[in-house]
Amino acid sequence: MPSLISRGASRIRRDPRILKLPPYLSLLCILVGVVWLFLLPKNEYSRRTYISENALLPGQVHTYFGGSDQNVFRAYKHEVNALVHQSNIEINDKLESILKGLGLKVGRQNFTYHSAGHVYSGENTYAILQAPRGDATEAIVLVAAWKNAKGELNRNGVALLLTLARYFKRWSLWSKDIIFLLTPDSIAGPQAWVDAYHDAHDSSRVDSLPLKSGALQGAVAIDYVREDRFESVHIVYDGINGQLPNLDLINSVVNIAGGQMGMGTGLQEMWRHDDKYPDRLRTMLRGMLKQGLGLASGPHSSFIPYHVDAVTLQPFGNGWQDEMAMGRVIEGTFRSLNNLLEHLHQSFFFYLLMHPHRFVSIGTYLPSAMLVAANFTIMAIALWLKSGQPGLTSTSGKAENKKSDDEKSDSKTSSQTVERDLFLPLGFVTGCQFLSVVPLYLFNNAPDGMLTLAFITFAALNTILPHLSSHLLTKYYTPTIQQYQLIKSFSLLLLGMFLSSLATLNFSLALLVGLLACPLTFMQPWPRSPVMRGICMLLLDAVAPTSVLVAGAVYWDVSLGTVLREAAFAWDVSGMYSPVVVWCVWWPAWLAGSVTVLGKPPPTPSSGPKRKGEKKAEGVEGKPVSK
Amino acid sequence: MRRFLSFIFVSLLSSCFIQSTTASADYHEQLVLRPLPLSALLASFNFRSNTTLSAFEAHNFRFFPRSLGQILQHAGTRELHLRFSLGRWDAESWGARPWDGAREGGTGVELWAWLEAETDDEADHKWLTLTNALSGLFCASLNFIDGTRTTRPVMSFQPEGDHPNSTVTNMHLLYGVLPHEVVCTENLTPFLKLLPCKGKAGIASLLDGHKLFDASWQSMAIDVRPVCPADGGECVLEIEQTIDMVLDIERSKRPRGNPIPRPLPGHELHCNSSKPYHAGDTCFPVDSIAHQDWSLSQLFGKTIKGTCPLTDPNTPPVCLQVPDSRAVSISEGAVEKKNGDRVSRCFDIPPEADFELALPRPEAPTSPPAQGESEDGIQLLIEEEVLVKPETPLLYAERSFTGHGQERGGVQTILRNPSPDTAVEFIYMESLPWFMRIYLHTMAARVEGQASHDNPSLIHEVYYRPAVDRARGTQLEVRMRVPPASTVFLTYDFEKSILRYTEYPPDANRGFDVAAAVITILAPGSGSESSESDGAGAGAGAGAGAGAGAGAGGGQQRRFAAAAYSLRTTSLLCSLPTPDFSMPYNVIIFTSTAIALCFGGMFNILVRRFVAADEGPKVGLGPALTKLGARLRPAFERLVRRKGRRGVDGVGGEKDL
Amino acid sequence: MNGGKAIVGRTSTRTAVLNLYLGAAVLRLALFTLFRGLPDLLTGRVEISTPVTSFKRLQEGLFLYNHNVSPYDGGVYHQAPLFLPLFSLLPDFSTLPVFTYLLYIAIDLLSANALLKIADAGEAGSSALFTSLRRDKRWSGLVVAAVFLFNPFTIATCIGRSTSVFTTCAILHAVAKAIAGAPFSAMVALSFAAYLSMYPLLLLPPLVLLSFDRQLPARATKSLAQFATSHVAIVGGVLAALFGMSYLITGSWEFLPSTYGVQLTLSDLAPNVGLWWYFFVEMFDSFRSFFLAVFWMHLSCYVGALTLRIRRQPLVVITLLMGIFNIFKPYPSISDSSLFLAMIPLYRHVFPLMRYTFLVAAIIMYTTFLGPAFYHLWIYAGSGNANFFYAITLVWGLGLSLLVCDLTFAVLRDEWEVERPEMVGKDIRQI
Repeated sequence: MPSLISRGASRIRRDPRILKLPPYLSLLCILVGVVWLFLLPKNEYSRRTYISENALLPGQVHTYFGGSDQNVFRAYKHEVNALVHQSNIEINDKLESILKGLGLKVGRQNFTYHSAGHVYSGENTYAILQAPRGDATEAIVLVAAWKNAKGELNRNGVALLLTLARYFKRWSLWSKDIIFLLTPDSIAGPQAWVDAYHDAHDSSRVDSLPLKSGALQGAVAIDYVREDRFESVHIVYDGINGQLPNLDLINSVVNIAGGQMGMGTGLQEMWRHDDKYPDRLRTMLRGMLKQGLGLASGPHSSFIPYHVDAVTLQPFGNGWQDEMAMGRVIEGTFRSLNNLLEHLHQSFFFYLLMHPHRFVSIGTYLPSAMLVAANFTIMAIALWLKSGQPGLTSTSGKAENKKSDDEKSDSKTSSQTVERDLFLPLGFVTGCQFLSVVPLYLFNNAPDGMLTLAFITFAALNTILPHLSSHLLTKYYTPTIQQYQLIKSFSLLLLGMFLSSLATLNFSLALLVGLLACPLTFMQPWPRSPVMRGICMLLLDAVAPTSVLVAGAVYWDVSLGTVLREAAFAWDVSGMYSPVVVWCVWWPAWLAGSVTVLGKPPPTPSSGPKRKGEKKAEGVEGKPVSK
Repeated sequence: MRRFLSFIFVSLLSSCFIQSTTASADYHEQLVLRPLPLSALLASFNFRSNTTLSAFEAHNFRFFPRSLGQILQHAGTRELHLRFSLGRWDAESWGARPWDGAREGGTGVELWAWLEAETDDEADHKWLTLTNALSGLFCASLNFIDGTRTTRPVMSFQPEGDHPNSTVTNMHLLYGVLPHEVVCTENLTPFLKLLPCKGKAGIASLLDGHKLFDASWQSMAIDVRPVCPADGGECVLEIEQTIDMVLDIERSKRPRGNPIPRPLPGHELHCNSSKPYHAGDTCFPVDSIAHQDWSLSQLFGKTIKGTCPLTDPNTPPVCLQVPDSRAVSISEGAVEKKNGDRVSRCFDIPPEADFELALPRPEAPTSPPAQGESEDGIQLLIEEEVLVKPETPLLYAERSFTGHGQERGGVQTILRNPSPDTAVEFIYMESLPWFMRIYLHTMAARVEGQASHDNPSLIHEVYYRPAVDRARGTQLEVRMRVPPASTVFLTYDFEKSILRYTEYPPDANRGFDVAAAVITILAPGSGSESSESDGAGAGAGAGAGAGAGAGAGGGQQRRFAAAAYSLRTTSLLCSLPTPDFSMPYNVIIFTSTAIALCFGGMFNILVRRFVAADEGPKVGLGPALTKLGARLRPAFERLVRRKGRRGVDGVGGEKDL
Repeated sequence: MNGGKAIVGRTSTRTAVLNLYLGAAVLRLALFTLFRGLPDLLTGRVEISTPVTSFKRLQEGLFLYNHNVSPYDGGVYHQAPLFLPLFSLLPDFSTLPVFTYLLYIAIDLLSANALLKIADAGEAGSSALFTSLRRDKRWSGLVVAAVFLFNPFTIATCIGRSTSVFTTCAILHAVAKAIAGAPFSAMVALSFAAYLSMYPLLLLPPLVLLSFDRQLPARATKSLAQFATSHVAIVGGVLAALFGMSYLITGSWEFLPSTYGVQLTLSDLAPNVGLWWYFFVEMFDSFRSFFLAVFWMHLSCYVGALTLRIRRQPLVVITLLMGIFNIFKPYPSISDSSLFLAMIPLYRHVFPLMRYTFLVAAIIMYTTFLGPAFYHLWIYAGSGNANFFYAITLVWGLGLSLLVCDLTFAVLRDEWEVERPEMVGKDIRQI
């Protein structure tokens, strides 16, 4: 194997032109990655959805929900309306008595979360309908939050859940238990319940569940706020940290709604969707943005991290469909889930939906993120090689006129590279990484009032910091051009590594960060042109994490405070890790990049004090993962 | 429940007495019907027949089913217990279990037997014979009870029959369970075939697959045991067949033609008219007690076809347990006998005529409930006068998994002792598959509300036999006690192991069923005299138990007084990590390639020698050409020489170049 | 950065060494005590704990042993019997874990100490039969020890309390003793290593050579054959004694199949960073035993080849073999990698001859991050399948084997340049 590689490697070492290639190569990678992304919505690259789990048989059963159940629904609606202005406990008392009256087992659970100085507390109520001949080995969940994600009162949803509970009780065909979960809010309540169900909760904040059932096979949440009749069902499917439910679940809902009810389905708040390129692209991009932010988008989100496939159903549009139709969609979905023999595992977990009937799977879209991540790695390797080149260690501008004698001394340089002075670069990059803990801690623990202030101060510091550190660096170390190359090389290497790992967990986040960070690839010291330095620095300040955050807040006109509070809440309650990515992956790379730009290396290349280089060099060679 | 039992025992004793006098009555059957809350009905059928041991030895089976008898003789089985169960008993609302749980098993099939054998191997051999024969007889896959599913419980099970001390010494108890087995009609038919009347007459004529397996909970049991009458009469071998089922009255009353629960027409709904918004199109339903009226023909789809002519006439074939206040209408010819304790009555059936029994709807509460009163309040009020109040069981047990992911997990059993004053001592037995690697050192029991994690006074004794991969399942028996009016959490961790891809079932991603835990509650005081070790003795117990258990198996059983009450938890579904089943070739190829690359690389470096880039033979096209040239040159020269000799013919020589 | 502690010079001053050890110990103790969940988290990682080294399994075995149940009559405990009395001497882990922590820290420091001795002896640069031209370019033992002690892999292994640290310690001591010219104790140490986890037995030939080369002139045996036989006999004797003790402890021989049989037959297929587990999960039953034999033969075939080819530098052979085991043994973990990577800095003098250091470093780092991510996708998120993790273990193995090959190349070239001094720095190729 080495002999195979050695050919290419030595050739790379030999040819100085190769060393000028990488910037263009990285640029190419980025461009291809972006273009790739925009090609996806075309018919040639996306695929039509299909059901791969045959056991689901969506829409194969006739649904009977309706008739006099509507009378019952109205009654429950009255009961719910009577509860509107009462406390969580009173509401739960009433709901519990109703559910008990239906002959279900009822349990309640208290939870209290603290985040950004706020206290989020409440009480969940849930009832278990035991499968008539089943044995508590599997269960399906039907969720209705008292308030939906936007904070509106979910009165139809709750009433519908009660009616369905009574209706499902009559059937004898359930092979899995059915759990009816009523939560005060849409994020914290379900989160507390699911955590407790899997005993992953910290019992000081969240109570354990009094009664439990088997392994959860799926969950459906009703978010039914509007009073008038509707036209289509809006399927919300984004999970926390951009995890997605199994595509089969979404397909079956689409299939049932479309097939039996003659109901349309919508995704990503695209209320109108002609199946053309622009709409597909918009749907996909919205989906990617949601996925990238990784926030919980509804009661279903908390289920997905536990490998429980879940969606939230919302009615939208003006049509002739009524509550019973919604109920029948849910009935059909539950009948499908009830048919499941195995846990949903067949279809896709990584996909981008651009229309209820069109998607791209990971194999098709992953390359774009990987290319963007790869450009950093390419540049890192190139810089490493370049830093090892004697004579070539000056700025690439000098490369040409040195080429001639390089070619003469090819055989010399090929096998013998100059000593790299590794200590300063390694130390600096590691320092940046460790420094990144500060903002992370700050923004996740500051109380609500302080958040905005803290952010502004940090942003201000953030603009000064590169200048400051670069000044200190030049003052005390006077790093050589080679050391700057190595700094950049290492930080890019780390960035590329983190991003490519992240791309497998949360594709969209990796792509977003990657695109926002790609200017770093092309940054280099401008010892002799302050203008270029200034321009580059401005560019970098424009794509700094802080400024991007501000820009986002302005664009969706939400106050910075809300953004930060939401982030802290998601971090504390649902364990969203996007802040880690921003502060511990992106920000250090940005810092290193801007320091590189501001660097003022001495014009004559000298590869640092030898002794130091020697004894530090083991940093990479003896101990590769020490970073 | 106690009343129920006392009553059963009364009838049984009476029948036993009669049987010992008149040899004709070797067969008894009885059906006990018992309405339960939430529109459920417990119907427990009981059939008992016996033959004297001597006759049995002489292959003279009278009412004893011959097919089964021969199997037992062939496999040297002294006592046999076989259970087919489905669904779960809802102790919260239905109260204590019928027969104090002695006649039920965990979900699936459960089998335990005392085999007479000299050595363990012989016992295993007979066990194999027994399971295979029984699986043929009952159309159940009992033959899958192999070494990994068989355990030898030490504390949990005690022989029910009276065995002479000569045989007790070398009787081996083996226990096997199939949690994944789905009990269904094909198991019922052979079950009925064992009856003398074959389900044609008597109460057995009610049994029919559709109804039985639509029940919310049902358990079929077969118990074979030798019984020696107290008066020193001849010992008999007794076979007792029991079927308990809890029918959902509403569901069972649906006509078979139209089983779909379509919504009722609006006017048929039972509404709570006291609601202010009550209207023609708005109805708050109160249907929890709607279905307390039923008749046999509605529930079972048919009536009892007379009595089985072989049955003992003195045992009343049908009994019903409702308050005496309730009116019951029965078909003419039948006689109703109240049993004194004001909650049960029995009926004598005319041998030929069909028997029908009907409970009319209880009259609704006289006064409309006060406004403030909640629905369940009303419900309780009504059930008081309609039903016999179910009696609380000695212990509630609920078992579930903790944690998520396919790497490791934990098992948590919540044991609640409802009685305010008496502690409950019991034996908790788990028999787990080998691929659940449990960590015994993580086992802890704590009382709810107490911080102390491991409370030594709870666990008295542990018998543990660890699993061996692919050879033996884990067997865990814990003797513990729950203080009065408290809840105990018993928890332990386990690790899920990944299997060879051939060892997964076709539905690998469904997960693997884990058998129900068996909880045997010891009769008060019985546990204490045998508890020579307690507290720290947990270990000692484990030591003694497991140390010997590895060797002597069932031979060294611990003796406890008969179980007071026994119950099973629900079974669990354990999902293991799965490989990609489509990969074998790819994996073999990839891994081999990686190994080959490393080996090849090393080999190259080790065997080839170094030269400077410009020394040594050239590689590439050049050397090949020179070699070729070198090989051609001699031929060419020869030709040239020949040409020189031939002179003028040189042209020819030129030609043949 | 670990390098920061380094001092220039051939031998390391005592105070610096003490500071280093102190720093390492404090760091570990802090990790143990400040982050409560960390030890158990790491113990649960498949990259650190294998069925034959897991601390949780050790606790289980200990529990059974203390309640006089045979820990080997079950599928959980596959580790050497002598661990049981050793750990039952310590105070109960659940109540007083600190003693266990201290034990593990001490073991790490002992290993580092042995490593320091090895480095200071300068065997790597100039062995008895061979002296490198570059030998004066090397790191002091202090640096080498620091690299070992502050290698994240080593730290993770220590925090994860995998019992493989004992093997590591034994191996390093065997080498150190051999170099110090104490063949007997070297053999004893090696037999301890072999007793704990079997595979170090394959290190016997190079170790015998090493100790033969480095034996003290005072009482030196001339004939290699005689020396070898006597010392193999020593190892055999010590192993026999150890097995005898184990028999006395457990009261039966059933620990043999349960401890070494598991490694031979791979009956426990728990995932790890190696190449075996998925191969044998997916293997057809009829070929399982055949491929087991093939894998073991492949693993052991390197011993002879390397020992003969690099006869003049036995320490190199040992190092390379460590690398090979780290890739191809049945239940590898990152603790084996930490051992291998700890030996690498001894060869500072051939670093300039190595060609892929950056590539290897990149591969190892990528896999270090991607491995856990993919494992999470497979086991917890359920959105990936086993192939994800398998692919990463494959890449990890390739990266390490590239490192091994590269080191071999560098060392051989170094040897060659002694014969051809004029070739230093020239371009070369192999024919």
